[in-house]
Formats: sequence, structure tokens, C-alpha cells
Amino acid sequence: MTRMAPAGTIWLLFIFIFYLPSSSRAATPVFEIEIKNHLFYPSRLEIPAHTKVKLLIYNRDPTPEEFESYELNREKVITGGRKGVVFIGPLTPGEYPFFGEFNPKTALGTIVVIPE
Amino acid sequence: MLLTSVIIVLREVLEAALMISILLAMTRKLQRDHRWISLGLTLGLVGAFLHASVISTVSEWFDDAGQEVTNASMQIAIYLLLLAINASLARGGRSGFWINLATSVVVALSIAREGFEIVIYLSGFAHNPENINRVLTGAALGMGVGFSIGALFYYSLLALSYRYALILSSLLLTLVGAGMCSQATMLLMQVDWLPSQIPLWDSSGWVSENSLTGHRRHRRRHHRSRHRATTQRSPPPATGRLCPWAG
Repeated sequence: MTRMAPAGTIWLLFIFIFYLPSSSRAATPVFEIEIKNHLFYPSRLEIPAHTKVKLLIYNRDPTPEEFESYELNREKVITGGRKGVVFIGPLTPGEYPFFGEFNPKTALGTIVVIPE
Repeated sequence: MLLTSVIIVLREVLEAALMISILLAMTRKLQRDHRWISLGLTLGLVGAFLHASVISTVSEWFDDAGQEVTNASMQIAIYLLLLAINASLARGGRSGFWINLATSVVVALSIAREGFEIVIYLSGFAHNPENINRVLTGAALGMGVGFSIGALFYYSLLALSYRYALILSSLLLTLVGAGMCSQATMLLMQVDWLPSQIPLWDSSGWVSENSLTGHRRHRRRHHRSRHRATTQRSPPPATGRLCPWAG
């Protein structure tokens, strides 16, 4: 059992070391997305390349939704009437589709990363 | 609606079903008390409902990072417990209170983690009588398929000899553990607790994550086409640590 201790300790250190520099979040651009009637507004969102951005996703529906994107490597459950925060980037220019996992036929959108 | 429900439930059930089938086969081979797994299953189901009922509040913790921090903590806990289980396997798999408890807690955490999403999804249809039947049918089908795959896996492991069953179980638990670390890393990057960088490589041309194989790999081993520097650093040490034969 004692041999296991370093693995856990390294993990915790790993988290806290990297947490410190990321606390300067003031400069991160913020973009808002709304979910209404199982649709994303806007369904096409342009963000700058090579920049970390903060997405504020408001679920205006009474039902839950999961914001998911394979291309962005993100997934987040947002319950009805609540908001969720998801950081994405820095990304290279291109199109990154996302969808609502609970309503994948209607809740579709794309993040378009435009060159600086 | 029916198909969406099947896919969502199957995706959540599959990962827990595979892990529990490995632990169950291991318990059987080592002639340990299987009631610990039953205890884990019960606690996990209670945990899934509890987790779902408080998720709105929990999500607002730590500047809206609560959901990710809670999930990542559960995944890291599963990883550490799998590490202890694998270490006990490397020493001959002798039974003991702590290892039985670790198995029980791993089962409970994985069900609470995966089950909560099913509860949340189904709760969205609670006041929608038009669709509830189709959604519940889909959920039942998804669970049925997930459990069947788990059962198939369990009996396949039991069919192997004692030695090979334990080696394979250990290797698979190692992969599951590495996947947990990988996904915990992704969640912490998602809320900016870990830094995110430009992807180091893109393997989306090999296995699309939209395909069935991609879904399965994504869930089982958390295959990600675009690996970032942070994600890439995490799984190899986790794998090395967990697998007793990897040194």
C-alpha cells in the first residue's frame, strides 16, 4: 500500500501546481450561448484562434441538456433553467461542431475559430 | 427519441457494466465474498439519485466548476482504488477487509457517476407523457444491451484459466484506471483548473469518435482524437503505476 502513495501525491501536486497560474482569468474573453426549445442560439459562434475562451451556456429550457463536442473534447450537463461554464481553446482555425446530447437531432451548433 | 434514449443509456451503462464484470469475475476467481459488490451496487444506485438531485447546487460550487471537480474527484478516487486492487492482485490476490471495501467503493462510485446522467436525462421527460413510454423503452433496451455485454465479458473472463483471467483483469483495470485519469484531466481543463494547449496530434482519421467503435473506445479507454499536452502526460504514468507487470 505504501508504494501507492506517490501516485496520488503526484496527481494532487499536478492539480495544484497548475491551478495557481490559471487563477488569472480576468483577460479570458467570454462568449454566451443560449439553449431554447432544444436549439442553440447562436448556433454558429466565432472565436479567435490560439486564445482560451470562456463559454457561458444558459439553459432556458425547463429540461436538462448536455453540451457535448468530440472535436472540442468537452461534455457538461446543464440542468433546466441553469447556466454552465465551459472553457475551450486555445484552438487552431477551423470548425468545431457541438451538440446537445439529450436532443441531438435539434440541438446542433458550431464553434468557428477564425485566424487572428 | 427511442434511438437517442438507447444510445445515451447504453453509453453510460457500458463503462460501469464492463468494469463491474471484470471485478465480479475477479471476485469469483479469487473466491472472495461477492456480497461486497452487491453492497457497492446498492450504494451506487442510491448515490446516482443523490448525485442527480443535488447536481444543480453542486454545479455552482467553485465558481461553476463544481460538477467537473466532483466528477474528477470520483474518477481519481476510482483510479487510486483500482491501484490498490491491482496491487493486491500482484501479491496473489489474498482477500482482506480493505480490498473488499475498495472493490465495493469502486463499484458504488462508478454507478453513481454513470447512473446520475441517466437519472438526469430521464428526469427531463417526467412531465412529458407523450414521449415517456418511448424514452423508457429505449432506456430499458440500452440497459439490456449494456448488461448483456457485461455478462458476456464476465463469462468470457471466467472461461479463462485462473492465471490468465487475473492477468487480463489486471490489464483491463489498468486501462480503465488510465481512462479515469485521462477523463479527470479533461474535466479539470474544461473548468480551467488545468491549462489547455494546442493539440499535439490528431488521430481522428483513424477512428471517428462518432462511429460505434469510437463511442466504445471513447467510453472505455477515453480515446480522444485530439490529445493535448496535459492529457497526453497523464495516462502513461497511470498505466505504469497500475499494472503490476509493467514495472
